[in-house]
Amino acid sequence: MTHLDTELKILKADLIEMWQLVVNQLEKGMKALTNFDRDLAEEVMENEKRVNSFELKVDKDCENIFALFQPVASDLRLVLVALKIGNNLERIGDIAASVADFVLEADTDFNKAILEHTKILEMYAVANEMIADALEAFDQEDTRLARTIFKRDKILDDIDNKALDRVLECIQNYPDQARNSLLVMSMMRKLERVGDQSKNLAEEIIFYFEAKVLKHKKKKKKEGDE
Amino acid sequence: MSNKIETIDAHLYYGDFHALKGITLGIKENAVTALIGPSGCGKTSYLRLFNRMNDLIPYTQISGQVLLDGQNIYQIKPAEIDSLRRNVGMVFQNPNPFPKSIFENVAYGLRVNGIKDKSLIEAQVEKTLQQAALWDEVKDKLNQSAFELSGGQQQRLCIARALAIEPTILLMDEPASALDPISTGKIEDLIFELKNQFTIVIVTHNMQQAGRVSDYTGFFYLGQLIEYGKTRKIFTNPTKQETENYITGRFG
Repeated sequence: MTHLDTELKILKADLIEMWQLVVNQLEKGMKALTNFDRDLAEEVMENEKRVNSFELKVDKDCENIFALFQPVASDLRLVLVALKIGNNLERIGDIAASVADFVLEADTDFNKAILEHTKILEMYAVANEMIADALEAFDQEDTRLARTIFKRDKILDDIDNKALDRVLECIQNYPDQARNSLLVMSMMRKLERVGDQSKNLAEEIIFYFEAKVLKHKKKKKKEGDE
Repeated sequence: MSNKIETIDAHLYYGDFHALKGITLGIKENAVTALIGPSGCGKTSYLRLFNRMNDLIPYTQISGQVLLDGQNIYQIKPAEIDSLRRNVGMVFQNPNPFPKSIFENVAYGLRVNGIKDKSLIEAQVEKTLQQAALWDEVKDKLNQSAFELSGGQQQRLCIARALAIEPTILLMDEPASALDPISTGKIEDLIFELKNQFTIVIVTHNMQQAGRVSDYTGFFYLGQLIEYGKTRKIFTNPTKQETENYITGRFG
């Protein structure tokens, strides 16, 4: 293994560890919401610092590899992609922390009926799955799996488009949960962004393994481009 | 990490020419230190202090201290210079194998040092060729002339020859500048491997090479050490403007 290989291996390992942490953050945020577990929500807020330090570490790894090894071809793509993935993961980490913060802002348990009617838990599950699958696609070099992520973003968008109406219905039906309903609305707006970030991750994964640029391409082209 | 070599206010004159102007620097043990700088900056002169190679140049004057494991090597007895050079191996810019077989090139240093046991020599030749990542390529032709090897293989043979007498320090003066990119890559990987066992000091014109292989870098200019530090720091955020200008190719 060359010196550069060793450095790239470390970079990849850092990225995967950061990714797992972010997946974990989202899952804990969902549990905190479902069980109204304030301790868990606080843990997510606290762990956000770890996500941030990972981003700095990945940035530093990349800077060193550029400066010391002048990577080319797939090595170069990995370093370029690592910079962007690190940045995307940090933003997803921010979203996980924001959702946890909204949980902490609630003064009573979230009514289960609200969670069901708004479909926030379904949205949350899809978002978690997208990030976790993106990780698997990166780790297993599975660009087919990466391509499935583009389709799933539509599920999040559909739920998000109906969020306002459903939240209004919740406020009418459960007036004592008006504050919580609005908090759910804010969370859903955040979760919708996870879909966009996941698409960015999928684009980067495909760029890394296939050297294809899918940015700003039509959705059908992204899903079917083999 | 402790210093294997240390120079304190080292000055070197070739006649009237003041080639090194008070260099104070510690070379870390079991690490790779690269010396970079434009031609004539003193980096090779500095490297040659460590095995007293400059002694061979007439009208050379040296002052200050050059400590190897804490001992000033300019105060040792003349008879001890040989043992100093056994401890400090050197590899030069152009591969310079002896006009002998591959085996004999590596065995030479052992024989000169009085080792006669054939099996011991054979074992050491194999071990050293393995260390120099050359064994697999030459094991079936050990008795062929060293000149039949490619340039890159010859240079690895020279590294094996230097390692055979088990030095603790390896000095490399532009070890890959005469080689093609593939051979250069092999030498660089080898340097990366060898640092676990040896203290390596490498002089190179090739800044990217310094970045790839070294842990520490010293930038020399006009006989002075301008900046020394971890290679990552020097190549991402050097402290001195002169270093920044040199590594970015804006002068030198």
